[in-house]
Amino acid sequence: MKELPKEALDLDQKIIDFIRRGTDFKDDEGFNRLALEVFTLQFKSIPLYRRYCEKRGIRPEKISSWEEIPALPTDVFKVMELSMFPSKTVRTFMTSGTTKPEERGRVGYDEGGLRLMDATIEEAATSFLFPDGRKTKILILAPSPEMAPHMIMAYGMNRLKDYFGLPQSRFLVGREGFEVEILLKELRSSEDEGVPVTICGGSFGFVNFFDYCREKGLRFKLPPGSRTLDAGGFKGRSREVKREEFIRECEEILGIEKERSVNLLGMTEISSQFYDSTLRNFHLGLALPMAKINPPWTKTVVVDPETLKPLPAGETGLLKHFDLANRGHILAIQTDDLGRMAPEGFEVFGRSKEGEAKGCSLTIDEMTRIEKGI
Amino acid sequence: MMENLFELEAFYVPLELRDRVKISRTLVYEDESTRILLKIPSIDRTFIQSLIHHLREKRRDYLADLPIETIVEVLDEASRRWLDKNYPLRRLALKTISLITGFSQEVVEASLDAEMESSLREDMWRALSLEIGNPLYLNNFQYSPQLGGYSRAFGPELVVSIFSENIPALPHLLFMRSALVKSACLGKVARGEPTFAPLYLKTIEEIDPEMAECLAVLYWQGGEEEIEPFLFEQADAVVLFGGVETCRSLLEKIPRRVKALVHGHRLGFGVIGQQRMKRQGLERLAEEVALDCSMFDQQACLAPHIYYLEEGGEVSPKEFCLAVAAAMERLNQKMPRGRISPQEASAIHQLRASYEFRELNGEEVLVLASSPKTDWTVAYEKDPGTFSPSPLNRFIRIYGVEDIFQVPPALKQIGPFLQNAAVAIGDKREKEFIRILGELGVARITSPGKMSVPSMMWHHDGISPLASLLRWCDVEKKDENL
Repeated sequence: MKELPKEALDLDQKIIDFIRRGTDFKDDEGFNRLALEVFTLQFKSIPLYRRYCEKRGIRPEKISSWEEIPALPTDVFKVMELSMFPSKTVRTFMTSGTTKPEERGRVGYDEGGLRLMDATIEEAATSFLFPDGRKTKILILAPSPEMAPHMIMAYGMNRLKDYFGLPQSRFLVGREGFEVEILLKELRSSEDEGVPVTICGGSFGFVNFFDYCREKGLRFKLPPGSRTLDAGGFKGRSREVKREEFIRECEEILGIEKERSVNLLGMTEISSQFYDSTLRNFHLGLALPMAKINPPWTKTVVVDPETLKPLPAGETGLLKHFDLANRGHILAIQTDDLGRMAPEGFEVFGRSKEGEAKGCSLTIDEMTRIEKGI
Repeated sequence: MMENLFELEAFYVPLELRDRVKISRTLVYEDESTRILLKIPSIDRTFIQSLIHHLREKRRDYLADLPIETIVEVLDEASRRWLDKNYPLRRLALKTISLITGFSQEVVEASLDAEMESSLREDMWRALSLEIGNPLYLNNFQYSPQLGGYSRAFGPELVVSIFSENIPALPHLLFMRSALVKSACLGKVARGEPTFAPLYLKTIEEIDPEMAECLAVLYWQGGEEEIEPFLFEQADAVVLFGGVETCRSLLEKIPRRVKALVHGHRLGFGVIGQQRMKRQGLERLAEEVALDCSMFDQQACLAPHIYYLEEGGEVSPKEFCLAVAAAMERLNQKMPRGRISPQEASAIHQLRASYEFRELNGEEVLVLASSPKTDWTVAYEKDPGTFSPSPLNRFIRIYGVEDIFQVPPALKQIGPFLQNAAVAIGDKREKEFIRILGELGVARITSPGKMSVPSMMWHHDGISPLASLLRWCDVEKKDENL
């Protein structure tokens, strides 16, 4: 019923083969070729995107490099459906951050798109989260996909659980909220039995758990090989914590070595994930500065916030990502994240807020609070 | 080689106390040609206590008995100096404000002129008459036939004010108002623009050193537990400028006996009726709209987020947008948009793209924009029935409406935050329309092109800024000796 056209299936197979070569296989030419193929199909299949490109004088036959593919600003997903085959959508993920459903970005995935995402999750985690190949008990500080069907993080962590988790792995946010008692029990039993744990979930969930532990005077010494994976920032749902402090808390409260706390940049609009290199480098004995790593099926470019043109290496600007696994919607995505390129990958500084208020006009943030009646 | 090096202080205190100010650090602002060293004072309770003591004493000995006529003359002279293009402090302020805030020098110049031109002798007399009837009530007891006795108005001894915005030349209004009601005034500059207020007080010192002894401005980190509650405790009135959240949290720290006035963030909009949507005069009206959206780079609460255009006139809203876009471009040549943060630029690109896709999708939407930079944007759509704020920095949303009376319902929810409306209806509906806006909460209604230049007489944010500071004493006696 939701069968995709042959050309999409064939292309997906080529991309999956590319992804399955792993994260160490550098093949810029192969990436370029596939990126142009994906663009060609998206140009052909998504009329709105085609018009957007044509307005900019870009057509597949006119370009020879992935860098020329027009990027789609993330907010467009709030107002438009931009899937390649909307009638084949089997799963829709939505962005968080606002209470108004009409202001949440929506990205539809077809079967092939989900398969591509699954492949990226498995390959990237193999390199960056489980380079030791170890199976652990995965405890997830997030709701399950059944509870949060539109949350891409829930989907991704469920995959991690399936691919890499021991049987007692589980989600820890239920209908009644965060199941802290169960988490405590699971952590204690791991300590007792020596079963290493992978705790993963939203960054704010960790911080709230740390605060809880401090208040109750709880500490853990999790077995060697335990690790954390956090993503998504704080979003005003916990206190804001700097990376160094986060890692220190993992060490002090959970007893997890600092090299085993990994942060991931994931976005609803992007099928692939960008992991910190920390744990992989630690495992390989490499002393490289920490950065977010582009797996070979993705590229990231830093652009000037004023002109959206690429910036010289090292300068801070807005991150633009290219992801072959985005075959089902749009390959090139313009984000509003600030960051800069680093020798091994890139750094992301997030959507940091303005320091001091500038003018005296009511801001969009203030307006949102007023509308909510706060 | 640095051509221009300037050293300034982010504070102004009376002469006698000046050598007691310790400098805690120096902030450096620089671009290719200019470097500004801004000295930040180190503030503690002991110093503030001496400062407040000094301000109160000088007020009692001098300002409290100074005739209002003299005060007006001093303030008028200050405004005139600032209007003189060769006045050294003005020239310095143009450089510092522009470098620190990112506003272009042209924008700063236009806003200084607008502020000072409405701060002259006649403006002050009119404001005083409007708010308190007879300004002489400020000098001594005046016979009031209505009362059948004598009345006098007293200002607070000490006004404390917190400025937390970067709007150039805004703080001088508060010092003027304090002086007019014969109050000493201690202000806190905004970190976003800490240079204008100290320079303005220097001008007062040049003209009337004794009056300047009653005025001071300091710099400290906003929200510092120690200083603010301590300061509010000793004030007679507090005037707050700032964001909704900032003002809320500051208000909680003000003791009950202290009078508090709040100028929180608010917003503006414009409405043009079909009778004014004409070919004749189109370019001029479009220029006025463009000016409203470009002054202070749209960052003042006076600026419009949305202009509503009524359909059915000779010129369609879309056609009008083309004229506004052309005017925005011309204005940007003459008075360039300032430097903005990456987040602000990103917000503009993101919203432009959303509009562009709706346009590509065949919706009744039009987006016109500067390229490749974010200097200005005109985004047209049919009125969605809700008020969506603009990301500002010269991004104007234009909503087409079938009937101007469809506008007010969308404004109801944000009534208390409505500041300023430009209204040009051009037929007999205007009176009724204005009545409705007034009831909704709009504080000022003006014409397109005038949004950024309220007069001194304005009931700022809907309050009487002078009268609100005063308390009255009535004497129910007809005794000639009084």
